[in-house]
Amino acid sequence: MSNVLFRYTNLILVTLFILSLLSFLLAYLFPGQAIENLTGLRIDELTELQSSQIKYAVDGNMFIQYWHYMSELFAGNWGVSFSSGLPLYEDVSYYLPASIELSAYALFLSFFIGLPLGFLAALRHHRLTDYSLLSISLLGYSVPVFWLALISILVFSLQLGWFPLSGRISLVFEIPKITGFILIDILLSDSIDKHAALIDAVRHLILPTFSIAIVTTTLILRITRRSVIETLNSEFILAAYARGLTPRQVLMRHGVRNALIPILPLLAMQFPTLLTNAMIVESIFSWPGIGNWLIQAIYQQDYPAIRAGMLAVSALVVVFTMSIDLSIRLTDPKRRRVERVAI
Amino acid sequence: MEFKNNHIAVVGLFCFAFFLIITIFCPLLAPFDPNMQQIGDLLIPPAWDLNGGISHLFGTDALGRDLLSRIIYGCRMTFGISLLLVLIAMLLGVSLGALAGMSTGFRSSVLNHTLDSIQAIPTLLIAIIIIAILGPGLVNSMWAIALALIPQFVHQTRDFVRRELSKEYIMAAKLDGASQLHIFARSIFPNMGEMLVVQATLALSVSILDISALGFLKLGAQAPSSELGAMLLEGIEVAYIAPWTIALPGGALFMMMISINLVGDGLRSALRNRLLH
Repeated sequence: MSNVLFRYTNLILVTLFILSLLSFLLAYLFPGQAIENLTGLRIDELTELQSSQIKYAVDGNMFIQYWHYMSELFAGNWGVSFSSGLPLYEDVSYYLPASIELSAYALFLSFFIGLPLGFLAALRHHRLTDYSLLSISLLGYSVPVFWLALISILVFSLQLGWFPLSGRISLVFEIPKITGFILIDILLSDSIDKHAALIDAVRHLILPTFSIAIVTTTLILRITRRSVIETLNSEFILAAYARGLTPRQVLMRHGVRNALIPILPLLAMQFPTLLTNAMIVESIFSWPGIGNWLIQAIYQQDYPAIRAGMLAVSALVVVFTMSIDLSIRLTDPKRRRVERVAI
Repeated sequence: MEFKNNHIAVVGLFCFAFFLIITIFCPLLAPFDPNMQQIGDLLIPPAWDLNGGISHLFGTDALGRDLLSRIIYGCRMTFGISLLLVLIAMLLGVSLGALAGMSTGFRSSVLNHTLDSIQAIPTLLIAIIIIAILGPGLVNSMWAIALALIPQFVHQTRDFVRRELSKEYIMAAKLDGASQLHIFARSIFPNMGEMLVVQATLALSVSILDISALGFLKLGAQAPSSELGAMLLEGIEVAYIAPWTIALPGGALFMMMISINLVGDGLRSALRNRLLH
């Protein structure tokens, strides 16, 4: 077990190292001066600063530069944005939680709908329920997410007026930022009308969350269905029936747990898709998240922001997927054995 | 054989063929030039609407361009480019995957880890980085998507090669003194066709979504172009008075995705059933 832990920590560190190196090299690949792209300060401001006795390691070779870049990165000094002039670290720590919040709710919702429906489809395999669920799920993962978001804005916001068009919360409410997650912040804040603020925030959340969740739900449904069908066809299920258990007992005692195990790693692989969809949906609903922020940064050619945002998002994805992988490896003895044989 | 019995998948295949025909013969099929602006005919509703006319079957957009012609040309761009990208990605991915599968030890481990980390990064993020380096535009977004499609081909090829290598017919070829290259080219590659077709349909749907998403975000194909995503973006400005300008291009995109996914699903389950029996 400690062996597995060690190998995974190693893997995560190496990957993060590659990503940080990449983000450093990006400063050289982007148009303009590398030093501008790294700090976010214009070259004339820099010479001004340099004359006021702040030293830069620009004269050293690449390795020394990288070393200094990393030490600044860990000090929380990520440079400033070209367009707004604000420190990037604060920008990212404001926008990233909004994205995580949106994706987390979408993921939770898809689990809530997708898993039971997947089980239902598998248990009614090759019957009407199965076929209709499969057809609906085909529609669900074929729909382009930005089109769906546009249509839902057109129908629910403009025609029916049920939900607000964009943003995170009505400007009437002033919520101090504590954790960055709006619902938690509302609960923590001592604003006058907590109840109304909560309802307003949820109303803002509904459309974007559903737009993202539809694709993920159908994916979860299909993965669950396949896994349950495969589990129910295996021999230990037959053995359980032979021992005289009822179908219900077989499913509860042997089916559910064994079917759920292979689902998790497949779901971890869907995380990048979820994030891509979230980034697109954010920019449609003007959700103040990292995807919207990055896309705005491209329009404004804000290279320091792209570099910092890319590093933050990819590090998040890598750490998330690898920790899911690790937890599966630690909890599932079957998988470990198979892996050992494979190696 | 299995595929033929799956009627829905066959319908999907016909839709797929329909889009292929549109892609190839679009100049013959489109009634108007997609960029011709008719000042007198702004925002005409589709033919089935009370105010619509028969000369513009799908109506016109805010600049008086015929929507049917634009959608036909848009299908050509989105669909044709995606096909091209998938072919490129397949070519590169299979050769890299073969390399990773046939090699062992340190080299394969480095290759695998690099690929795993690339696959973990969202496509859109890769596209954003490449576009930031090269600047927005259709060709640059194509590079980005091709790069993002390669890893899954590499993965599949590598796993397939690993699986096949442990089988007995490969052992027989080895005993006959075949070289590594010979084993791959003569023994493994001919068996890969089905796996590749299934993987290609998956990649095709991903690439269509990505091309149109980038066009929609103003990062890919730019405004006057009739790429479906870019058309949707243009439609937003008049969406409230002319909903058909976003409903129809999006619907075409939706149809395209459904047909590809139907074919892909059918192929996958046919392949799975054959492996079982």
